Amino acid sequence: MEFGPIWRALQRNKTSYVLIALQIAVTMAIMVNAINIIQERSEQMARPSGVDEANIFYLTSNIFDPEADVEAQIASDLDAMRNFPGVVDAIASNSVPLSGSGWSEGIRLEPDPNLESTGIGVFFADDHGINTFGLNLVAGRNFDPAEITWHDYESDTWPPLAIMTRAMVEELWPDEPYENAVGKTVFVHRTKPVQIIGVTERMQAAWNSWSGVERSMLVPEWRGSSFSRYVIRTEPGRRDEVMPQLEEMLAARFDNRIVRSVRTMEETRERSYLLDSSMVSILTFIVIVLTAITGLGIVGLASFSVARRTKQIGTRRALGATRPAILRYFMLENFLISTVGVVGGAIIAVGLNMWMVEAFGLQRIAWYLIPGAMLTLWFVGQVAVLGPARRATTVPPALATRSV
Amino acid sequence: MLRMQDVSKIYRTDTVETHALRQFSLQVNEGEFVSVTGPSGSGKTTFLNIAGLLEEASGGIYELDGRDVAGLNDSERSRLRNEKIGFIFQSFNLIPELDVFDNVDVPLRYRGFDAAERRQRIERVLDIVGLASRSKHLPSQLSGGQQQRVAIARALAGDPRFLLADEPTGNLDSQMADSVMELLTEINGAGTTIIMVTHEPSLAERAQRNIHVRDGQVFDGEPEIHLAAQTA
Repeated sequence: MEFGPIWRALQRNKTSYVLIALQIAVTMAIMVNAINIIQERSEQMARPSGVDEANIFYLTSNIFDPEADVEAQIASDLDAMRNFPGVVDAIASNSVPLSGSGWSEGIRLEPDPNLESTGIGVFFADDHGINTFGLNLVAGRNFDPAEITWHDYESDTWPPLAIMTRAMVEELWPDEPYENAVGKTVFVHRTKPVQIIGVTERMQAAWNSWSGVERSMLVPEWRGSSFSRYVIRTEPGRRDEVMPQLEEMLAARFDNRIVRSVRTMEETRERSYLLDSSMVSILTFIVIVLTAITGLGIVGLASFSVARRTKQIGTRRALGATRPAILRYFMLENFLISTVGVVGGAIIAVGLNMWMVEAFGLQRIAWYLIPGAMLTLWFVGQVAVLGPARRATTVPPALATRSV
Repeated sequence: MLRMQDVSKIYRTDTVETHALRQFSLQVNEGEFVSVTGPSGSGKTTFLNIAGLLEEASGGIYELDGRDVAGLNDSERSRLRNEKIGFIFQSFNLIPELDVFDNVDVPLRYRGFDAAERRQRIERVLDIVGLASRSKHLPSQLSGGQQQRVAIARALAGDPRFLLADEPTGNLDSQMADSVMELLTEINGAGTTIIMVTHEPSLAERAQRNIHVRDGQVFDGEPEIHLAAQTA
C-alpha cells in the first residue's frame, strides 16, 4: 500500500485537497444532524395514536334552529348512525386525537388548586367511546350507559368518572403498576373529584407536539351545544363508501342544520404532521443534494488531478505500475482525502449537535450515525473517483517518453 | 539478452498508415553499452518504446532475456518492465510532489519489496549517484543534473537487466551532461547493459557500439559513428 507517499504528496500540494476535504466535512456535519432531525420527526410521526385510524372518520353537525332539542337530536342521530350499514359504532365527542383542537385539564392528586397539576387531554364520550375509537382497555371497565350525563353549559359540574390512558396513570403514580390506578380518585377542574374506572393502553391527545400527547382521558358526558362532532368507526375497508352516504343521511334527517367538515382520521394525522413531513422531505432532499454535490466535487477534483498528472501516470506505468495499481493509487488518494473530511466532519457534527441540543432541545445524535455517515461518504468518494481513476488506467506507458 | 528480428511498428489512423519501424533487427548482448542514433522521425523512440515494453510491436520477434514478449498481457508486460528494465528519460520524469527517497521508491513498491529491502536499495543507489544526503529534497530543490542522477538511481534500484536511456543528457548543459555520461559509463562498467538513444554524436561515441536508425530500419551503410574503444 502506498499510504505514506500518497499522504506526503497530498501534504505538498494541499490547497485543492483541503477544500474538498472541507466540503466532505461540512456535508457530513449537515448530513448527520439532518438525519438526526429526520429520525426525531419520523419517530414522532410513527407514534400510534391508539385509535383505529384506518376506519374512523368524523364530521360536524351545526344546528341553526334555536328551538331544536339538541340533546334529543344527538341521541337520535347516534341511534341512526349506529344502525347504519357498515358502521361499527359512533359517538358525539368534542375532539379526536391529533386534530390540533381539543380540551385539556389539569389533574391533581389532592383537591388543592395551589398544587401543581398534570395536564391531560379530554375527550367527552359515552359508553360507545372505547368501541368507536377502537381503544384497548387494559384495566378496569367501560362506562355504564347510566353513568353518561348531559352537561348544560350553564352548570359547573364535572362527571365523577374517567377512563385514563396508561401513560397518564404512570405519570401520576410512577412507582405503581398501572392497574392499581383503577378505583383511585384524582381531582380535576381544580377541586372536582374523579374516580378512575378504567385504563386504556393508549390514546393520544389533540396536539402532536405537546409533551403530554400520550396523556388523555375519556369523560362520560355529552356536552350540550348546537355544534356537535360525531366520530364514526366503520367496518374495515368500508370507510370511504360509508362517509358520503352517512353525511347524506344526517343531512336528510334534519333540515335545520349543516353537516360538514367530513374528515378521516388518516387525513387528520397527515395534516397534523404536515410540517414534520415537509421538514423530513426538505432535509432528505438537502442531504441527497449535498451528497451529490460532494460526489461531483470529488469527480471534478479527481478528473482534474488525472488530467494534470497524465505524464506522471505514464511514468508510473513505465516504471512497472499495472493498471490495477494506478486505479488503486487514485482510490487510495481519495480514501485519504475522504478520511480527513469525515474525521473533521465527525467533530463538526458532534459540535453542531451539542449546540442544537442546547439551543433547540433536539435529541442527541445516535452513536451509529457518525460511523454510518463516514461509511456513506467513503463509499460516495470511492464511487465518485472510480470514473476518473479508470480513465487514468488508460494512460499508456509510452506517454513517459513523449516530450509533452 | 535483447533480440529483435524483423520487428515492425505501424501506427494507423482512419486515413493514414505510418510505418515507424520496418524489418528492424538487432541484438544487444549482456554488458554492452549501445547507443542508438538517427535523425528526428527515424524511429529511435519507437524502438525504445518497443524495447522497453512501453508499446507492442506490430510484427516480428522480440525476445527479452530469452523470453518472447509477444502475447504478454498488460499486467505481465508491466511486471516484466519493472523487473528487467530501468528507464532514464530526457526530462527526468520525477514526481514533483515526492522527495528523492520516495521517487526512487516508486518502482520498488510496484515490485513488492518490503520496507527494509526498499530502504536498503534506495540508500545504496543514492550513494552510487552521490545524492545520499539529498534524500529528503524535492526535485524542485535539485539542479537538472542532480534530478537526472535521481532518475538514474530510480532506474538502478530494482537491479534491472538493462537500462534504457532516452536522450539522458538532452536537458542538461555540457558539464552536467558529461557528469551523467560518466556515471552511465561507470554503471556499465559495473556490468549493467545500457541502450541509450541520442542524437548527439559526441555522446554516442562514448558507447561501445552504435546503431544508426534511418526510416525505421537499422542502417546497414557506412556507420556514421565509429565505435568507441571500450573503457574499463
